[in-house]
Amino acid sequence: MYDFTGMIQGINNWLHSVMPDMAATVVGWVLIGAIYLAIFAVLGLVLVLAERKIAAFFQLRLGPNRIGPWGIFQTVADAIKLLLKEPVGTKRADSFLYNLAPYFVIIGALMSISVLPFAKGLQAFDIDIGLFFMLAMSSIGVMGILLGGWASNNKYALLGAMRSGAQMISYELSVGLSLLTVILMAGSLQMSEIVEAQRDYWFIFKGHIPAVIAFMIFTIAGTAETNRTPFDLTEAESELGAGFHTEYSGLKFAFFFLSEFVNMFIISAIAATVFLGGWMPLHFGGLEGFNHVMDYIPPVIWFLGKVAFMIFLLMWFRWTFPRLRIDQLMKLEWKYLLPLNLMNILLMAFVVLMGWYLGS
Amino acid sequence: MGAEAILVFFIAGIVLVGGGALASKLLSPKSTNKDKWEPYESGMKTIGPTWVQFKVGYFLIAILFLIFDVETIFLVPWAVVMKKVGLVGFVEIVIFIVILGLGLLYAYKKGAFKWE
Amino acid sequence: MGAKIIFYLIAGLMILFSILSVSTTRVIRAAVYLLFVMILMAGFYFFVGYNFLAGVQLMVYSGGIAVLIVIAVLLVHNIDHRMERIPVVEYLWKGGVLLAGAILTILTINQFPFQRIAGTEDVSVSRIGTKLLSLGDGGYVLPFEVISILLLAVMVAAIIIAKGEVYKNEEK
Repeated sequence: MYDFTGMIQGINNWLHSVMPDMAATVVGWVLIGAIYLAIFAVLGLVLVLAERKIAAFFQLRLGPNRIGPWGIFQTVADAIKLLLKEPVGTKRADSFLYNLAPYFVIIGALMSISVLPFAKGLQAFDIDIGLFFMLAMSSIGVMGILLGGWASNNKYALLGAMRSGAQMISYELSVGLSLLTVILMAGSLQMSEIVEAQRDYWFIFKGHIPAVIAFMIFTIAGTAETNRTPFDLTEAESELGAGFHTEYSGLKFAFFFLSEFVNMFIISAIAATVFLGGWMPLHFGGLEGFNHVMDYIPPVIWFLGKVAFMIFLLMWFRWTFPRLRIDQLMKLEWKYLLPLNLMNILLMAFVVLMGWYLGS
Repeated sequence: MGAEAILVFFIAGIVLVGGGALASKLLSPKSTNKDKWEPYESGMKTIGPTWVQFKVGYFLIAILFLIFDVETIFLVPWAVVMKKVGLVGFVEIVIFIVILGLGLLYAYKKGAFKWE
Repeated sequence: MGAKIIFYLIAGLMILFSILSVSTTRVIRAAVYLLFVMILMAGFYFFVGYNFLAGVQLMVYSGGIAVLIVIAVLLVHNIDHRMERIPVVEYLWKGGVLLAGAILTILTINQFPFQRIAGTEDVSVSRIGTKLLSLGDGGYVLPFEVISILLLAVMVAAIIIAKGEVYKNEEK
């Protein structure tokens, strides 16, 4: 019902009609780049504010409330302040690697966002290996953290980076393996096709038991992969200062902070896209009238609503659970999640083989 | 957009970080206080070298990660075609995962996941 | 024309970072330059349309091997230590030998008349999967299963090396 393919095509044709082909292509690229950078920045501002407001809600406080109505411009003010801060590093640090580290985390996050479908046709880059591409990109971010911590010449930063590296690579496995259950049902890695395959049922309903298990594993592993509490021992304030970005200040710190929140958005968006139907409205196979009513709500609202739900869940975790120790963390991944994941994949394969899933 | 999107987003990322770093360089104050450039250690002077030797456990985790990463890579094409291939694909993957499960069991028995 | 420019740009950057990787005196920077080469390699695969292979390159080499190398470097004592600078003369004659080898290789490869085989343009994941699981002609099911045994062997070896079991037994 809401198809943006025509609209995007129209804008593209209009660009080509008013200027030469080469210039139109370049202008199109610049436009897309600018739009995604704007999305990136707005995401950071909104998510940080949401985090602080939700933290305040859980702790019976008001949260930021001075700048603008209900404090909604607080994070904008923070961003300006960070821009005006003096960049202080450490002496004897490897300054080339120190300055390089933010590029890794930001580019990794930006590339991951580029393949997300916001609605039908509203997607910058519909590559045929979409989901796999996102996994690959998230594995690049680890390098940024390791290098940033190493180049800082600070014990806290180095310890935080090593913990972070070990944690992120461990939980990356669980993220990847839990997504395999969805790929089994969808039979494709392309994001648009994965969403299309959920036209009759969302995958979490379609795959019932194994899909719910995979969803839970994905949520746990995703929380760990984004280094959020209860898995935030990489930047445990009480032991390590601020972890790997202890020695970063000003805008360079802001980049790490931004990418952390954008990564939370990415994990939530993956969960929303592959388990909760992405922009696909709530559909049940056979209930045509119900499906038709649901179609009236725009897909962008469906997508952002699901992502907001997932983000709220992750923030809820953060303000509910205490931090784990590193041995508990490794135990959880290697002794419980990984074997469970492998068995779950076999179960899902069996379900797919026997055709015991809902819908087609 | 086709594959050129990778280039576009790569450049966008560089513009964001590079532009940010440049703006911060132009706008931020500069001080010549040398103490600011000491490593932060809760106010104490740092003692001894920063780059200490890490325990071998981290290395073991990295190698095990690599093994299961490669395994994931082989599982992805399987998962894409599993619906089409049917029983043959299922039997093959049961063998594949059981053999790797043995490895995981071995690692568990040898205490590779113990974090002392 | 544009394709050629991109090809030579990526190739040039790869050569540059490879040289930097072997000529730097700091271990960790060598690892980072190597990482750049790996990422550029993935860029190459994206460029020619082998998307899955590019993803594999990013995931295993940039995300796995490079992290492994960095962690291995951190295991080594005295990381601050700089490696010795190699004298320029040695650079020259070693570089000359390498260049001669490269020219010889390129000339030899150009001698062979490469031909495009029909039906190999499709490199989608589903085609890879079908080939990997097929029992018939041109199927790769045996290598696929052998890989799991190989991975098992790697895992056992890694644990033995890292835990130092053999070494401990000898001491007893």
